Amino acid sequence: MRGGNDKDREMHKLGCVTLLLTLWAAAPAQAAEENEGRLIAILRSDAPRAEKAITCKRLVLYGTKEAVPALAALLPDAELTSWARIALEAIPGPEADAALREAAGKVAGLPLVGIVNSIGVRRDAAAVDTLAGLLANDDVEVASAAAAALGAIGGAPAAAVLTRALAGAPVAVRPAVGEGCVLCAERLLAAGMRDAAVKLYDAVRNSADMPKQRLVDATRGAILARQAAGVPLLAAQLAAADKALFALGLTVAREMPGADVTKALAAALERATPERQALLLMALADRDDPSTLPAILQAAASGSKPVKLAAMGVLGRVGSAACLPLLLDAAAQADADVAQAAKAALEDLSGKDVDAELAARLDAAGGPMRAVLIELAGKRRIAAAVPALIKAADDAEAGVRAAALTALGAAIGPADLAFLIGRATAPRHAEDGEPAERALLAACIRMPDGEACAAQLADALWDLPVSTKSTVLKRRRESAGNWVWVPVSPRSTLLEVLGAMGGAKALATMVEAAKDDDAELQDTAIRMLGQWLTTDAAPALLDLTRTASSPQNQARALQGYLRLARDFPQPEPQRAEMCAAALRAAKRPEERKLALDAMAKHPSIAMLRALVEAAKTPELKDEAGAAALAMAQKIGGDSADVPALLAQLGRAPMKIEILKAEYGAGATVKDVTATLARYAGGFPLILLPSPNYNTSFGGDPVPGVVKQLKIAYRIDGKQGEVTLRENAPVLLPVPE
Amino acid sequence: MIPRAVSAAALGLDGAVPAGDRIAVGGIGIGSRGTYVLGCFLGEPDVRFIAVCDIKAARRTAVKDMTDKRYGNKDCAMYRDFRDLLAREDIDAVLIATGPNWHATASAYAAKAGKDVYCEKPCTKNIAQSLALAEVFRRTGRVYQAGTQRRNLPHFAFACELARTGKLGKLLAVHAQPAGLATAMSGWAEAQPLPDKEVVDWDMYLGPAAWRPFNQRHLDGFNFEKGGGLVGGGVLEWGSHCVDLCQWAANADNTAPVEYNPPVNGRVIARYADGVKLVIRDDGWLPLGSCPVRFEGEAGWVEAGDNGKLVLSSPELLAGRKVAEIGGYPATFHVRDFLNCVKSRRQPLTNAEAACYSHIACHAANIAIFLNRKLAYDPAKNEFIGDEQANRLRSEAMREPWRI
Repeated sequence: MRGGNDKDREMHKLGCVTLLLTLWAAAPAQAAEENEGRLIAILRSDAPRAEKAITCKRLVLYGTKEAVPALAALLPDAELTSWARIALEAIPGPEADAALREAAGKVAGLPLVGIVNSIGVRRDAAAVDTLAGLLANDDVEVASAAAAALGAIGGAPAAAVLTRALAGAPVAVRPAVGEGCVLCAERLLAAGMRDAAVKLYDAVRNSADMPKQRLVDATRGAILARQAAGVPLLAAQLAAADKALFALGLTVAREMPGADVTKALAAALERATPERQALLLMALADRDDPSTLPAILQAAASGSKPVKLAAMGVLGRVGSAACLPLLLDAAAQADADVAQAAKAALEDLSGKDVDAELAARLDAAGGPMRAVLIELAGKRRIAAAVPALIKAADDAEAGVRAAALTALGAAIGPADLAFLIGRATAPRHAEDGEPAERALLAACIRMPDGEACAAQLADALWDLPVSTKSTVLKRRRESAGNWVWVPVSPRSTLLEVLGAMGGAKALATMVEAAKDDDAELQDTAIRMLGQWLTTDAAPALLDLTRTASSPQNQARALQGYLRLARDFPQPEPQRAEMCAAALRAAKRPEERKLALDAMAKHPSIAMLRALVEAAKTPELKDEAGAAALAMAQKIGGDSADVPALLAQLGRAPMKIEILKAEYGAGATVKDVTATLARYAGGFPLILLPSPNYNTSFGGDPVPGVVKQLKIAYRIDGKQGEVTLRENAPVLLPVPE
Repeated sequence: MIPRAVSAAALGLDGAVPAGDRIAVGGIGIGSRGTYVLGCFLGEPDVRFIAVCDIKAARRTAVKDMTDKRYGNKDCAMYRDFRDLLAREDIDAVLIATGPNWHATASAYAAKAGKDVYCEKPCTKNIAQSLALAEVFRRTGRVYQAGTQRRNLPHFAFACELARTGKLGKLLAVHAQPAGLATAMSGWAEAQPLPDKEVVDWDMYLGPAAWRPFNQRHLDGFNFEKGGGLVGGGVLEWGSHCVDLCQWAANADNTAPVEYNPPVNGRVIARYADGVKLVIRDDGWLPLGSCPVRFEGEAGWVEAGDNGKLVLSSPELLAGRKVAEIGGYPATFHVRDFLNCVKSRRQPLTNAEAACYSHIACHAANIAIFLNRKLAYDPAKNEFIGDEQANRLRSEAMREPWRI
């Protein structure tokens, strides 16, 4: 920019400030030795406004009382006042307070509003008189800010000023005065001045021209500050015709402790409209008070529909076995909403006596009640209901059988698992197959001894004959994420359950199945292995890349193996070893690309070593060699092993000459030609001793600013030039 | 217990909802994300969206067209200044989906105007704003739901429940994805011609951010002033979701970690008072989609991500449920939770207090990254212990006339 006009220089600097600010944010540690004096000098200079703004930000960290005058000088400046206050709010000590107070007497308009706001944030008690004066300012924004600041400061003097203003302030300022009063009352309460707080809250409640929400704020405060003595005021809100005050009552009833609050809610419940009764019931239930149960039960039995539903919605949490008759009756009703609410409550009711009674009722129930009880037996996992559920699984009605099987999936134990295995692999009715399979899966994945359960499934699987008669087409997801239609026989069904379970026995069975003569079983096993969620499946998948019965299955095994190598957390050397094995096992170009992509995703020395080794085989020389170079660039000079590894790539060394190299920012640069020349080898990638340029080049030429490295060079006699951002890998583009 | 939505019928939603029982909603700053969330609101039978405010005319018009088309009328009112929208007494609640610069400030103004608030994340720009947000909503008794909808996604909720209820044994560590640790913020770009206020209201766009001249890059840049203050972005991007879930899992909705370490190998490790570690990292996740979390206890672990699936150390932890039955989007659950609370006056899952401490954890981690040193934090006093520079970074002055 040398030789340009002043405007050009200004714009250039402005353009840099965005970048500068961003980078300073990212690396403040380097600027730790920031010189406060230098920053103050910038504020006092004719530096661009952008630079002054950023300097204010820096003074947040490095500013002291010394910086206050220079910052205060910016307070009247409409564009920089907010930047100055950023620093002034942060710098501790009386000097910043004094500067803000002084400015409040000299500045007007929006900058004054900002100054007053900052006084409030700093809670400067010495500013009460100044703020009291500003309450009478003609500018509503200024007066309102003063009221809020007084509230934030709190204390008896501020309370006195604000109380007077409640009556005396112009109507337009009254809402802010109300806000200030409520804030101030909170401060008084926190300081233990309960009576004074109540007085202030009440003053707002009784004030004219106050917005509804200020009345709500003050009423809330007035109730809570009074503690137990506030219950009558709470009760008044719960009975208020006004929607906002009733809503406040519901809120405060959840905040306040004490039996009297519960009583107030119960009393309000008796007198409320049905719509409000539903809301009061919820508030009542949220108190977790057993004494509320009779009122809730009565509402559930005799209220209007919304009230009934609300009551049932809370009975699950607060109810007991005593609620069973009412809830069961409701659960069997035709009204779907009522039935659903009752079932949800029944599902949540606590107590083993509830389970015992439900199981006992299931034995004798019929019709809709039987369906309700079957569903509940499953939802609540009632082990005592399993015999009755097994009986119901042979019911004449398909719907009952399906419901019973579903419930068995949730409730059955290891002793009865054979029943579900039998129904899943040989259903008595064709339509029972699906629910039985789902139930078996649900049961197996929650069995406490997963290995024993897997062993039982495996035994059952190998006992089944190979048969295509009961094979059906089902939609399944492949490891690559695509959906396919596949044949599923009973043996495959059990294998899929094992796959969902995971674990050592399931894995061993899967490997055995992958090598079975049954092609469908092989296919299922490889699909399940491809979706395995632990890396212990890796050896089996790698083996299958060679031994699977078809090239297609070998390819699927490789995909599954690469998924484990690429996506799962594991030590980097192990990941590198797996990727290298995958590369060796890859037979087609697209498979090699998949393996190389996986390697590129995890750059490390171990992975680079694997790539270099792979590049030694003729068929992988180019692809793996290129990948190794790319990875070396990412790793940079982190390891001294990198040059030695790259040397093994067997590429013809290039002649690299560093003609000139400069490191720095703007006009401040450091000649680093000799350093770069020392580390330049036979590759266009120069590995410095540290990825941090400052370390490699013996110091920071421009502290606190992001720098550039500019290099002029020759490769095999052809000249080139490159400019690199600080700490970027030093890669020299090969000149054409 | 996994949150169970209150029956719609219990709140009077069966069948047609009488006009008087509908929740009148206004929108502030509805861009792409806001439009998605607005769609969730519009799908609820007891919502009537009646007004939109945006500093961009094009966005105001687009939202008006969208809602008018849905309702078959021309009733959606448009505003450039959100204070005019908030002044309407017939509006019960607002959806705030501005840029992060405005989130906390607009939320506070809405609460003070008597509105309930659903606000997108990240909800605050610094620690002081986080505390102020909780305080304002407590003081006004308004309902606040942070747009961290994963708390209401059943599979994430289930994973948190496992941790919270001891089913993983004594909790040892909770892991969150930040989506990048680098802190960066908006600066001061060169001046460009100021657009007409009715087309783009630059002054209102800047709002509480320090003044700078108009520049399109700031206007269209990703999340102007995200995080704000001296320390922007960083952990807040996904952290406001993932750290939030970790806070819930660690039963830490009213506190935050007490120690934050600078990044080592791309990981920030924080520690709660009870010794549980909060690990903020981008690497090493199972392939479960974006925004993953992992909770580890002495007796097991669980990991969950946006693909709706869970991976557990033992299937036994599922207690008979299939993963596919537990998980998934859409985010409508979260909006419904908010609307139910607007009626019942319960606090939603991501209420202002929970959001406050989730964000404090993110801001404190960002400050440790920024200063590149270990920090101790006192969640009772909400201050860093023995580190004045860190304490100075807890807040930032807001541009006049804005205050919370």
